[in-house]
Amino acid sequence: MGRPLIHRSPMPGLGLSMGITLTMLSLVVLLPIGALLLKGANYGLAGIWETVNRERVWAALFLSFRLSLFAALFNLVFGVLLAWVLVRYRFPGRRILDAAVDLPFALPTAVAGISLTALYAPNGFFGQLAGEIGWKIAYTQWGIFIALVFVGLPFVTRTVQPVVEEIEREVEEASATLGASRFHTIRHVILPMLTPAALTGFALALARAVGEYGSVIFIAGNIPLVTEIAPLLIIIQLEEFNYDAAAAIGIAMLLISFAMLLVINLIQVWSRRRIGYV
Amino acid sequence: MSDITVTKGAPPRFRSATEESPLARWAMIAAAVLGLGILVFAPLIAVFVEALAQGVAASLASLATRDAQEAIKLTLTIAAISVPLNAIFGVAAAWFITKFDFRGKAFLITLIDLPFSVSPVVAGLCIVLMFGTNSLVGGWLVANGYPIVFAMPGIILATMFVTFPFVARELIPVMIEQGRAEEEAALTLGASGWRVFWTVTLPNIRWALLYGVLLCNARAMGEFGAVAVVSGKIRGQTATMPTTIEMLYQEYLSVAAFSLAAVLALLALVTLLLKTALEIRHADQLAAAHRH
Repeated sequence: MGRPLIHRSPMPGLGLSMGITLTMLSLVVLLPIGALLLKGANYGLAGIWETVNRERVWAALFLSFRLSLFAALFNLVFGVLLAWVLVRYRFPGRRILDAAVDLPFALPTAVAGISLTALYAPNGFFGQLAGEIGWKIAYTQWGIFIALVFVGLPFVTRTVQPVVEEIEREVEEASATLGASRFHTIRHVILPMLTPAALTGFALALARAVGEYGSVIFIAGNIPLVTEIAPLLIIIQLEEFNYDAAAAIGIAMLLISFAMLLVINLIQVWSRRRIGYV
Repeated sequence: MSDITVTKGAPPRFRSATEESPLARWAMIAAAVLGLGILVFAPLIAVFVEALAQGVAASLASLATRDAQEAIKLTLTIAAISVPLNAIFGVAAAWFITKFDFRGKAFLITLIDLPFSVSPVVAGLCIVLMFGTNSLVGGWLVANGYPIVFAMPGIILATMFVTFPFVARELIPVMIEQGRAEEEAALTLGASGWRVFWTVTLPNIRWALLYGVLLCNARAMGEFGAVAVVSGKIRGQTATMPTTIEMLYQEYLSVAAFSLAAVLALLALVTLLLKTALEIRHADQLAAAHRH
């Protein structure tokens, strides 16, 4: 006899909780995603490839992915620093800073989008400063980068923070007793402990940035081949009622997200094996 | 013992071996403050500065227009429907996952988390393809007078899609940690299933539930990408607050756009305030990741 599908349990509510879970999951998430995949299947691999294999689509996918990568890298470094500062140091205003890290989660993306544009446009506060040295931010790829840094900001900090809290001081003391400089301890003892969590946060920030729409479209300028992101292409196709093409680009993006989800899970499995926690 | 010299004044301060030098410490704090100042505080302040650019009266007047009022009403209605539905799902899913043992549990959790890794625009696209007039289901529903896409049900579905994991994700770790012993004890004493849930489980998870609902609500009211795709942005009918902000902004009605944005920014601030209060007061009853 193999393992039973569901173990017998005295707990009540199996049918009800399973029913609600599976029905709502199917109706809200699985069936709609299935509809996209079905549309792609009808359109055919050749059709999808033909749609995606255009200069404008490649440019958009490459742009979304490249700038998301840069933004996630920035957030990786700044996020670890922020987590360290918030956990280890005591200074006035620390709690406000800690709460502010979550603002990009709480602030609607459209609000962030118009606000960043107002700041970085040529007549905006930061835009004017940058303009004096001839640096154009809004309506260029720099603008997209800044918007993506904004939306990805909380991920690394929030995954690394609990790990910094768990670090036992004895480990650092041991390292110091053995003659390691503080820099050496941080580089060879502390950072390796933070790596799995930091990588998880990095992957989450990357996944979020690749699909981001609301905060980017206002500041991007949306010039085809230059500052046009992949999600915007889907919207453009939909507005022309070109459902096949929209579905093709949608499937390409879905595959990218699935690949990243897989990577996140692999990182977590790897880190669990290596140090026993995420 | 005359060779012991007594130093006067404060004893010399030694730096602990597990601390950075004061210079490095202050440099890092300065970098954190400066970075968050530019990246987070500046955009937040800019919303209010732009909203009040022509004075409080102009800002309030723009909020009193019919379009703005309808948008606020629609956004509140959508949150009032989709958030409780997601809360019910979250509790049911957490109960199913933590109180029973079955095969494929990890896979189910991955499926529940799926919406977090799907672009909101793709989520909207999925719903259009499923329920749009060209699809099998959507065509039938429209023919019978129940349009989903470009109407309220579509916006609710899109909102539920993007906020789907919030409550379940918050409850599952908390309920795993609390185990099943208390519920089992209540059952042994003869309590009914519902009684166990209301008097044993719910009091244990109420703060975590509130935390999840809070985040779910913030995202539900602010969702833009998915809603922009399914709503058709019909003024006064299917334009939510975020989509109305976009329309006003593109018509160069800056004060009106930023005034509506300021309302959402205030909501975000209230959300953060309540969230921080929960983290401070009920840390022991929230998922481990939030315990700073």
